[in-house]
Amino acid sequence: MTLRAITTVTGVECAKLRDQLAPRVVLAVCALGPFAFIAAMRLQNSTPDDTLFGRHVKESGFATPLVVLGFATLWVVPALTAVVAGDMFAAEDRYGTWRALLTRSRSRGEIFAGKVATAFCFSALALAVLAASSLVAGLVGIGSQPLVDLSGMPLAPARAMGRIAAAWASVLPPAFGITAVAVLLSIVTRSSVAGVGLPVVAALAMQLSVYIDGPDAPRRLLVTYGFGAWHGLLTEPPYYRPLVYGTTVSIAYLVVCLAVAHRVIVRRDIDG
Amino acid sequence: MGSHIHRWLLAAVAAAFVASGCGKSPITSTRIETAVAPTFGHLVPLQLSRLGLPAVPASDINVIAACHRADFTSGAGDWVCTLDWYGPNGIPLRDTYDLSVGTDGCYTAAVDRGEGHLGGPTNVASDGRILRNLLYTFDGCFDPT
Repeated sequence: MTLRAITTVTGVECAKLRDQLAPRVVLAVCALGPFAFIAAMRLQNSTPDDTLFGRHVKESGFATPLVVLGFATLWVVPALTAVVAGDMFAAEDRYGTWRALLTRSRSRGEIFAGKVATAFCFSALALAVLAASSLVAGLVGIGSQPLVDLSGMPLAPARAMGRIAAAWASVLPPAFGITAVAVLLSIVTRSSVAGVGLPVVAALAMQLSVYIDGPDAPRRLLVTYGFGAWHGLLTEPPYYRPLVYGTTVSIAYLVVCLAVAHRVIVRRDIDG
Repeated sequence: MGSHIHRWLLAAVAAAFVASGCGKSPITSTRIETAVAPTFGHLVPLQLSRLGLPAVPASDINVIAACHRADFTSGAGDWVCTLDWYGPNGIPLRDTYDLSVGTDGCYTAAVDRGEGHLGGPTNVASDGRILRNLLYTFDGCFDPT
């Protein structure tokens, strides 16, 4: 397996994505959704008080990316990160193109690595677009007033910007964990519906665990635990333990899912 | 072979849940009190300056919180916090807040009507603008680990 071979596969997969409708629609929604949200906020009197920072939406533009983040982690982020990964391998089954693909001078391992790299790049890209557009929507639509954090401390624009960037970066590990789950399901079930749908449903079900009172430790085993870790980055003093647990668990999901997925794809009898 | 691995995995996950399930809820009165008191203490100067009132040094506000649940146990859900603090000119004040605390350590505090010296959901600033009362309802989070 060579790096050059993997980048070649990644390039081909990226070119395929550019021609598909779904990834384009997803990126367009990520780019435009926050502006629609801010337009709605400006038109009505109420604020989304049940979401953290919802009360601050009209007082500081820096609240917008955090309201969007808090809302999106429920099912939007799992959907964004599964939409390409869950379809990538199953599409070859659907179109019956595995045999043609494997006659190329690339090994199965190289094709697997290239496809996985493409899926992760798309997940990161979709999150980056959503983060950037929600920040810009807030700053353009509301303004750059200081943000009151979760400890009641006002954050000056530069500090608020740094915390928001860190908060969005903190959801990357669990998002990649879900991407890896989608890759595995896409390979094992050979179905795009299962590959995209199951990770979203599973992530939603895992988040229902917040309604079950009890110790924190069992919740840390869920891939979605890391989605709440950003709360600690917006308090004074900040706390990082949920971030450490969430990231560790996400990496474990990622490694296990990719290892199993690789094993399945390498051993699969495709000619038969 | 495959079903063996599945069963083994399932048992391991179940065991982990049961083993850690024996512990207590991390949502305790101490954690809530140490989160709510400073948050309220930070919001008071902000609210005073928004209303154009004379500032009170944060150290003079000296908030002490006492929080409990209806059944005096720990856990997520509805809590009541009594905050003793010092307002402008060193006047001792007491306010009661109803808290809704989540399992993730995030809470919403809403002031109990009571004496009403904190005002309603909105205030009118000295220049006539209508502003949200920061002390009427506020959100915060603490480390639940």
